[in-house]
Amino acid sequence: MEKASQTISTGLLLFLFVLTVPLSGCATHATGTHEPAPIAAQPEALVPQAEDNAFELEAEFDETFTEPIIDPLSGYNRVMTQVNDKVYFWALKPVSQGYRAVVPEGGRLAAGHFFRNLLMPVRFVNNLLQLKLKQAGTELTSFVINSTVGVLGFGDPAADYFGLQAYPEDFGQTLGHYGVGSGFHIVLPLLGPSNLRDTLGLFPDYYLDPINHLDHSEAAQAVHAFQTVNHTSLHLGEYESLKGDAIDLYTFLRDGYEQRREQQIKE
Amino acid sequence: MRYLFSAILCVLLLASPTLADAPNEVRELLKVKIDAVVVLLQDKTIEKTHRNERVLDIISPIFDYPTMAKLSLGKKHWPTLSQEQQVLFSDLFHKRLQASYLEKLDLYSDEEILYGTAQAEGKKVHVPTTLVSKGSKIEMFYKFYRSAEGWKIYDVEIGGVSVIQTYRSQFDGALSEGTINDLLEKLRIDDTFVIDAADVKEVSPK
Repeated sequence: MEKASQTISTGLLLFLFVLTVPLSGCATHATGTHEPAPIAAQPEALVPQAEDNAFELEAEFDETFTEPIIDPLSGYNRVMTQVNDKVYFWALKPVSQGYRAVVPEGGRLAAGHFFRNLLMPVRFVNNLLQLKLKQAGTELTSFVINSTVGVLGFGDPAADYFGLQAYPEDFGQTLGHYGVGSGFHIVLPLLGPSNLRDTLGLFPDYYLDPINHLDHSEAAQAVHAFQTVNHTSLHLGEYESLKGDAIDLYTFLRDGYEQRREQQIKE
Repeated sequence: MRYLFSAILCVLLLASPTLADAPNEVRELLKVKIDAVVVLLQDKTIEKTHRNERVLDIISPIFDYPTMAKLSLGKKHWPTLSQEQQVLFSDLFHKRLQASYLEKLDLYSDEEILYGTAQAEGKKVHVPTTLVSKGSKIEMFYKFYRSAEGWKIYDVEIGGVSVIQTYRSQFDGALSEGTINDLLEKLRIDDTFVIDAADVKEVSPK
């Protein structure tokens, strides 16, 4: 009996060895919740040990340190970041909370669909300008389906039943697609982080947004305000959560914005 | 018993060559971990502190916190810290990442998670995933590398924004204006910073 258990434990050792050495990667889940023998699990030991390979991975991050960020407006940008932050917490958030308490989620999602459908021209034209013809075609098809079957765009049958997704493109992305650099960072009042290129891009997109063609500009502003409140009501808590991650809110939002735009332009 | 054991051993030995497929292996590893976390999140009977402990037990083995701490300071700043500061920084950064991760879990409300095709590049494997919720989609990109202790995450990109990259810029900024001690102090203060509980409650699963 004792011999048997000894064989088993030797076997077990061998088993662990076989598992950890060649397949070190899958060992974690192959052994379930049990970690492979904690050979170097001392936290103190880990710090110098990871030295060897840590900076090998650094190449993909290196851009930030080698190219200093040109940020001539940083003084103004910091102030505006604080202003926008206050606007969010003092005005936009309480209003959106009140709105959310009154309008059920289904209604708010439908309103969100309606506005998204309405902004089809922005996406369609910018997809066309970037010669993304297939995506432009999908946008057009979605618009037709959602405006009819989806009852003026309040539903999204194009996505729900036909699996057609929206391809968000704006003029800033179109410029980026053709190699226009981002220029310096600008924090816009109410709109938040942007840069020179994307700010310029707002103008053509402004004309493609049907809401701006309403007869009275006050009406357009009211609709935009409603659109913003509706959107915020569906995303409460996200900005708060993001903000919690920041050590320096301005740098954090600036960098996050620029990275996100890079990614969107690449797509 | 012994026969059973040998049989298992044989199967494992035979199966091992097929497991050498790194991208799929890493993808599976991540999926197993995320699935386990999702099971915990969907169980509304578990008390939150307890749940968070269990979540950390599940995910911590695949996160390489020491490497993430180093990358966030980079070759430029890391060596300028004394050994003591390095240990302290590592520890504070580690706690911060965990707190941030746990806090994000409260925003989870039955999203569907889709796994894309993992891409291998040298010692690295990147696994793209998509979080699909009612109104929107979020692309999450898990970046693994082969460490001495197996596949480990060294960075996560959320919607094209790299967690490590944003910390790098912030730390670089902080260190060009202040000292490492200021930064450590800031990390320590933020450590106790807790998100307004009301914000989180609002978005908690209905």
